[in-house]
Amino acid sequence: MSVHGAVWAVFRKEAVDAVRDRRTLMMVLVSAVMAGPLLLVAMASFLATAQSRNEVRDVVIWGSDRAPTLVNYLQRQSYAIRQAPADYEARLSRSALSAPVVVIPANFEADLQQGELPVVEIVSDSANSQAKSGVARIERMLNGFNRERASLGLALRGVSVALLEPVQVDTRDIANAQTRSAQLTSMLPFFVMMAVLYGTLGAALDTTAGERERGSLEPLLMNPTEGFVIVLGKWAAVATVGVVIAALSSWSFLPTQWVLRSDALSALFLYGAREASLFMLALVPLAAAVAAALMAVAIRCKSFKEAQASSTLLVLVFSLMPLVTLFNAGASAPWHLWVPALAQNTLMARVLRGESLDVQSVLIPTAVCSALTLICLAFVARSLRRAATR
Amino acid sequence: MIEVNGLSKAFKVRTRLKRRRDDQWWPWRFGRDQADGGGQLMAVSDVHFRAADGQILGLLGPNGAGKTTTLRMLAGLIKPDAGTLQVDGIDVTRRRAEALARMGVLSDAHGLYPRLTARENIAYYAALHGLTREAAEARIEMLAGLFDMRRLLDRRTDGFSQGERMKTALARALVHDPANIVLDEPTNGLDVIATRSLRETLRYLRSPAGGAKCIVFSSHIMQEVERLCDRVVVVSHGRTVADGDVDTLLAATGQTDFEEAFVRLAFADSSGLDRRERRTDRMLR
Repeated sequence: MSVHGAVWAVFRKEAVDAVRDRRTLMMVLVSAVMAGPLLLVAMASFLATAQSRNEVRDVVIWGSDRAPTLVNYLQRQSYAIRQAPADYEARLSRSALSAPVVVIPANFEADLQQGELPVVEIVSDSANSQAKSGVARIERMLNGFNRERASLGLALRGVSVALLEPVQVDTRDIANAQTRSAQLTSMLPFFVMMAVLYGTLGAALDTTAGERERGSLEPLLMNPTEGFVIVLGKWAAVATVGVVIAALSSWSFLPTQWVLRSDALSALFLYGAREASLFMLALVPLAAAVAAALMAVAIRCKSFKEAQASSTLLVLVFSLMPLVTLFNAGASAPWHLWVPALAQNTLMARVLRGESLDVQSVLIPTAVCSALTLICLAFVARSLRRAATR
Repeated sequence: MIEVNGLSKAFKVRTRLKRRRDDQWWPWRFGRDQADGGGQLMAVSDVHFRAADGQILGLLGPNGAGKTTTLRMLAGLIKPDAGTLQVDGIDVTRRRAEALARMGVLSDAHGLYPRLTARENIAYYAALHGLTREAAEARIEMLAGLFDMRRLLDRRTDGFSQGERMKTALARALVHDPANIVLDEPTNGLDVIATRSLRETLRYLRSPAGGAKCIVFSSHIMQEVERLCDRVVVVSHGRTVADGDVDTLLAATGQTDFEEAFVRLAFADSSGLDRRERRTDRMLR
């Protein structure tokens, strides 16, 4: 029988076996397909609230009747004045109030007229993130009031307003839309890679340790098929599961994006067919290597349970790899491309930042993953007979 | 025809003094009293037999005698240290795939895939033997008739009884219609009816109508071997200690009971038996 025919026979059987393992498959699919969209929904809702906070031009004031001048200023700036409830502190603490409260002292107006520097408090709760994020806006608004008062005073005395601000400060953000989005979406590659890892885990363990536990490995090796052919067929099936999961999770962002239709999100998260394809370019070699590595770990184990325990180390190393970039404050070093998982994380982060990928940065991780795959598969093929008779 | 000559195999042994890195791989089935010292354990030291076509040869021996190791060497899973194994004149160690194509082996472990149906389990092995889909289907139908398992074919094997599992595993091993059949303790865990039905099937396969197969069948159950086998090879401590039909072995030991004859043959050179007998004698007294 041809090698290709035998590999196909093993592949087909393992694929059918994996597809029939409904419970595992559903768990993997749900987590792989749902993780991305859920993250997007969370991001969209975060952006939507941030957006509405920016758009809302109202101020919550405690004691607005004590400060007609300030209220007048605010109204001229088209702010709507809202009276703060009496229990505003309690409400802020339990996040029932989502804007900071401006507290006006009792004799604000009189002190202001006499130049007595009345103290206006901006009350917020640092645990209430929405209220906290509004503080800067209120501060800017009150500074504007201060500047107006000061310039009026100086103008009355015939002094140039420019004295107050000898230096004009202007901020300019050079980050493009994709760089800004990368801050928000830096977790996405990690989710996608975890989906690939957990997707292949079940299948990889079942085709090796599971086969030993069932006592089906020994009869399988009593067929005239060579060990490496069996390993190749099994690996092809496991890697295919990984690639399918990778495809599902990287393409699942697209429809979600259309459904959400958030302008803020689409401005920040530029993810289209091109990005999804580049994700796949990084993930396919990784899925192949992960499948082979898990099989190599599991073939030494007599039972599925034992294999799960043994693969914990691999899973841990794999999930810690992307953290290296966090310790490096997001910067990527050239050696990152030589480490599986870390390399893919780096590549996907670059894609999200809108950077173009050069040939070398794609070839290095692919070559490393291919080498790892070959080494692991050779090990599995070599261990197969000993594993069957142990 | 299966011919085994001068077969020997030693495994490394884990000792307290000397732990080797690779010794975790040695098989779990062997006689504990066979330790040869120096971290080596002779699982098989001199096994030889010749099984002809149209004949059932019983490999009879106590637990740990080396039967499974011998059959694993025959199936090419373990490389022998010395000796030859030939299937229809083909050397198993040199031309493993060719030899296996002429052999159907039902090993001690005969696990099925629980998420596949019996038909799919059998068809998988047919595909590995290079059978076309049509040929495999025809063969499965034929075997299902032979083993009376038609109603089982399209059920998933999860939840099969021991007997149903055995039938499926045997059908799977015979899917490529091999001329030689090797069975390692096939009646383990089977009830009377299933054992009887297996015996009938093996008799049929031996007959010219069933293809005059060469059947090698290991067991430690005397009655089974006595009823079924044309020829018996007694293996003890990794050696062939007797070879012949049941009557010859009875005559050679001067016994009328086959079990007694087996005990004489298998434990003849063992001081362990003497000790056991003395202890039994004391208890009886």
